[in-house]
Amino acid sequence: MMANLVTSLCCVVLAAVVVAYAQRRSQLVARNQYERRGSDVTMQCGSLESDVSVSWKVNGTDIEAQHQLNGPKLILTQVDLEHNGLYSCFQNPHGERRDTIILHVGIPPQEPKVTCRSNTYPKGFYCNWHLVSPTYIPTTFEVDVQHNQRSLEVQKDPVHKNRCHVQFPEVFSIIPYKVNVTAVNALGKAYVTLSFEESSIVKPDPPERVTATPIRLKPRKLEVSWHSPATWPDIDAFPLKYFLRYRPLIQERWQHVELSDSTSHTITDAYAGKEYIIQLAAKDTEIGTWSDWSVAVHATPWIEDPLPITSTTEVDFPNETKTSPIPSSKAPQKAEPPVGRAARVVTFFSPLLLGMMLLFI
Amino acid sequence: ASLAAAVDPSNNLASERSSIESTYELTKYLEYQLKEIKDVYLTYLGPPFNEKDFSPPRPNSTALTLPSAATRLELWHGLENQARLAQNQRAYSILLAAVRELARSTLCPSLKTSLLHFCTGLDGLLGSISALMNSLGYSSPLQAAARPTMNDFARKVEGFWILRELQSWLWRSAKDFNRLKKRLRG
Repeated sequence: MMANLVTSLCCVVLAAVVVAYAQRRSQLVARNQYERRGSDVTMQCGSLESDVSVSWKVNGTDIEAQHQLNGPKLILTQVDLEHNGLYSCFQNPHGERRDTIILHVGIPPQEPKVTCRSNTYPKGFYCNWHLVSPTYIPTTFEVDVQHNQRSLEVQKDPVHKNRCHVQFPEVFSIIPYKVNVTAVNALGKAYVTLSFEESSIVKPDPPERVTATPIRLKPRKLEVSWHSPATWPDIDAFPLKYFLRYRPLIQERWQHVELSDSTSHTITDAYAGKEYIIQLAAKDTEIGTWSDWSVAVHATPWIEDPLPITSTTEVDFPNETKTSPIPSSKAPQKAEPPVGRAARVVTFFSPLLLGMMLLFI
Repeated sequence: ASLAAAVDPSNNLASERSSIESTYELTKYLEYQLKEIKDVYLTYLGPPFNEKDFSPPRPNSTALTLPSAATRLELWHGLENQARLAQNQRAYSILLAAVRELARSTLCPSLKTSLLHFCTGLDGLLGSISALMNSLGYSSPLQAAARPTMNDFARKVEGFWILRELQSWLWRSAKDFNRLKKRLRG
């Protein structure tokens, strides 16, 4: 019986200690306070009576900003971001810490900006959102998607914070989708609703693995080949058409070719010996918009290797180019014969040589 | 027709594929034509029909037996050639009758002419589909839809939706015929 009494007493003491410690701890655990930028803020020191005197510190130092004290309350006027900090209050005269408040100054959210796109048609689409101006405090977003008076399941993107994915419940639909994005933080909320049809948001990713290679013995041709974007799930039932553009580096104007049902094309009107820049875009054959341009590929058509230097100054052109023996303006720049270059150097220096010779005469 | 296909399959399929290709081209042409007529028609209907983003609820009554082109993806993928063609045929036979009625009740003469001209194209498409079904040995039962009378505004809403459904069917048909072409390639 004695043992039982001792055990009970121990339990009671232990319980009292735990409660006292918990009470003490709760006063020391910081709580968050969110306030609107530009407003006047009142911070209450714990649950102290109105006649209690306290002193305050922010981040361990005295408060320098303009403020008022009213019993256990601290009043800051027209707060801004520099008022952010860890505020602690201490009961006078002994200075026991009674409360810890983290002040977050921010603004309520404005209407988010939302864009939606399907690059994985007909599987699904994704929506991105963002706030035009920052709120300075944590803000979350709720997304709701409706179609044909039914709510669709929305999946958050594992990587992109402000993106979600939705599967198309059906295809060839003309019932609009309604996407509602609500921004919420401690100071308020704002929402926007985007309405669109399936056919208007389809935009594939650009074509991939674009290659452009010269064709041997064909100085005006380039063989271009590419693949449909990997993100497009069903190229067979939902084919893409392509837009190819090319120009020599030295020119500004592009030439265009539109292609259906093909992932290769031969350019036949390239300027011999000029380096070309080539790009491709893709689009669903029926709906949506063109993709962005693919990564640019550079290529130069095949050129004949320069002939070895002979004793004559004229250079014979091979038959395939079908040009006259007289060098034309379209002659390859890179295949300049060394003889010609030497001849140019001589003509440049000849007036100088002549001058020097005259001096020594 | 199916017996002939068994005797000389390669030849028949080649002609079918060519027929599908021209039907595909026809849907693209009609889609383009419709875009232009639809704008004129919506202006003719007046507000609020000609306002951007205006979308009245689709009439749910049995009066509007317009088949919707919308379908679940797996169902669309799995459609057998015959069913695929039959769905197209049914849609266009109903839509043709609806657009003809639309043309008949249009008071603006130039718009009436445009709509009737468009109907000949639509009739051509329907004929093309029926001919294709016949040559592939599919039966093609045609149904006529009864169109009860309705008030003026309801008729406008219906007209709005007829053209919309027609637009979505032409979009869907292009994909249908592309699929048929690939399936018949063998």
